[in-house]
Amino acid sequence: MVINMIKELVKEEFNNDLAKGAVLVDFYSKTCGPCKMLAFILKDIDSKLGDKVKIIKVDFEENPDLIEKYNVEGYPTLIMFKDGKEVSRKSGLQQKPVISKMIEEAI
Amino acid sequence: MKKNIGYEFKEHLVHKQAKAEAAMLKEFSQGQYTMEAPLIKYNPYFVNDLAAVMLFRTEEEVAITIRVLGKTKEADFYHTFPKGKEHIIPIVGLYSDYENKIEVYPYQKYNQKVVHTIKTPEVAGAKLVESMDTTPEHMQDNVIFLCPAVNDLAIAVDYAGDVRLNFTVPMVWDVKRMPNGNILIGSERLMKMPYFVSGIYEMSPVGKIYKEYRVPRGYHHDQITLPNGDIVALNCDLENGTVEDQAVVIDKDTGHVKRTITFSNFIKPGSQKSGSWSDEDWFHCNAVWYDVNTNSLTFSGRHINAMVNIDFDTEKLNWIISDPEGWPEEYLPYMFKPIGEGDFDWQYEQHSNLITPLGDVMCFDNHHFGAQNPDKYLAANDSFSRGVKYRIDTDKMEIEQLWQYGKERGKDFFSPYICNVLYYNEGHYLTHSGGVAFDGEGNASEELGPFAQIDDPSVTLESITVETINDEEVLELKVNSNYYRANKFTLYSKDGNNLTLGTGQLLGSLGETPQMDYDIPAEDSGEILPDKHEARITDEVDMFTFESKFEKGQLVMLLLESDKETRRYFISTSKGKRGAMCTGTFLPDDDRDTRTVISKEGFDGDYQVKVIVDDKKYDTGITIRA
Repeated sequence: MVINMIKELVKEEFNNDLAKGAVLVDFYSKTCGPCKMLAFILKDIDSKLGDKVKIIKVDFEENPDLIEKYNVEGYPTLIMFKDGKEVSRKSGLQQKPVISKMIEEAI
Repeated sequence: MKKNIGYEFKEHLVHKQAKAEAAMLKEFSQGQYTMEAPLIKYNPYFVNDLAAVMLFRTEEEVAITIRVLGKTKEADFYHTFPKGKEHIIPIVGLYSDYENKIEVYPYQKYNQKVVHTIKTPEVAGAKLVESMDTTPEHMQDNVIFLCPAVNDLAIAVDYAGDVRLNFTVPMVWDVKRMPNGNILIGSERLMKMPYFVSGIYEMSPVGKIYKEYRVPRGYHHDQITLPNGDIVALNCDLENGTVEDQAVVIDKDTGHVKRTITFSNFIKPGSQKSGSWSDEDWFHCNAVWYDVNTNSLTFSGRHINAMVNIDFDTEKLNWIISDPEGWPEEYLPYMFKPIGEGDFDWQYEQHSNLITPLGDVMCFDNHHFGAQNPDKYLAANDSFSRGVKYRIDTDKMEIEQLWQYGKERGKDFFSPYICNVLYYNEGHYLTHSGGVAFDGEGNASEELGPFAQIDDPSVTLESITVETINDEEVLELKVNSNYYRANKFTLYSKDGNNLTLGTGQLLGSLGETPQMDYDIPAEDSGEILPDKHEARITDEVDMFTFESKFEKGQLVMLLLESDKETRRYFISTSKGKRGAMCTGTFLPDDDRDTRTVISKEGFDGDYQVKVIVDDKKYDTGITIRA
């Protein structure tokens, strides 16, 4: 059984979530077309990769502290973390192979 | 179903020109046209509305000299065409809104001259020149050719400041003259917003296009011809979600790509970040140069504040000219240490790199942001731009600044984007600061010209082209617009045909437009896309363009459905501004406008065009054929 690993940000858990393993953080906006498209792609990736990677969605408008902390300049922005450290980042809508490659390099 | 989507098939210019040329030749064949009473076709190739073609026959086989009379004698353009009985002569260098006089006579028989008049309408570019300060002795019959950066199209200006060429279609990016006398310039066919075009035209200044070298995934900024005639053109690594970080070597005869050079193979993305850096546009290559003496390529990376030289064959990194601050340690051995007693400044967000015959490296140093460290960034008002020449010693890894022009002019010469330098000889250079912009209060604009112009009507744009010989200014051209690059040449080529008849060729391929590999669940509405989207499709021989209005944040996808497959293309409704806009020629006025271009490469049969908007699928009633 594949475990769904996409979750909306829970601030209290964020540091713990990041600390271990491969975590892909999706900074998105509800008013952004590319973000909506990206959500479908991430869902598809998640259904295939399951618990190999956690995917955390961070609402750009509602989390200015994280936007500043991670120097996110726009949405959608994907940041790949491994054991708490940023290993890659992509801004704008990305194709599935590009995102898969980001994840594979972090797993 | 109501059919309310606009559809137009737009002929490629080479096909449109071929028909017009055939009609012109037919008219010529049916008439008794002589030197005294020739057939004159004004702007027969639809591209240059200060040009014409004159056709006539002579009883004897003679060479023909023509002189396009200037407003002063020094402004005449002239050329002698080879011997023949049938004469089909391109006329270039006409004035706008003027009764142009053209002298025609058999070579060396001035007493047989006849004078013809070509009355021209007022053309768009004619009023843009603010001033030209030079001498006819210096300029002779050259013009300064300016390539577009905003909505104003290419023009060429003579010694007196008169416009003598005015393009009517937005051919963009660098212009270079080829050894055969033709020019190379980017096509007007937009492939991908905001400025990636379908390829490079080889054409004559009269407007005739001989070839389009199509460039897969969109051409931008610059190209250079190799000694064997092949062309290195800049394009994008779209498969990896990035832009302006690839080059292709194009076969001169077939137009096919012989080699692809991917910059991430020699510079790791994110190694250095200029003030305009973005993840997608991490390198922003705006120039390519081939140096025959070292068999190397030099790429100018605006968003890494660096000029990067690689071996042409192995693609191994040779050297990097950049302020070393902030670069990862692995690149430091490739960098230079400044030496010398004189001034030295590193270049920032530079354009237009070249290597002189003596091995020195020149570029236009926009000096945008003026530092690697964001804490030290310069405001536009405190900035400068300049042409600069460095001498490098690749054994000692030392660099010395030999020359610069422009720093002393401060913000008045500051261009945060575009521009170029040209080398004519030791001490003789052209420095083109084509992206100057001021707000209504005279402050240097922090925004790039194309954005500034849209956002603030009080903004004024300026393009300043300066030629210096041993630091003395011998030419200064000021134009009230922004222009990407400047080049100087004669409109009549002394070496080439100036006009060759026949249908132009489309060479190479556009490559496949990347598809979205994921479907959006949507309910089929059974309706045509509503009128409010103002959708229209412009179909061409090898691609089509879907234009439509959508609100920011809508989820939109273009679908092409055939009985064999469905192709999916995402349409971005995001309104984010890019940090670079080296030609804003194609920017829309309304930020709801979207423009999506799909290459027909890989198409098989007929495709119904459909559009998903949020959770509904609409028809367009349009079928696209491969």
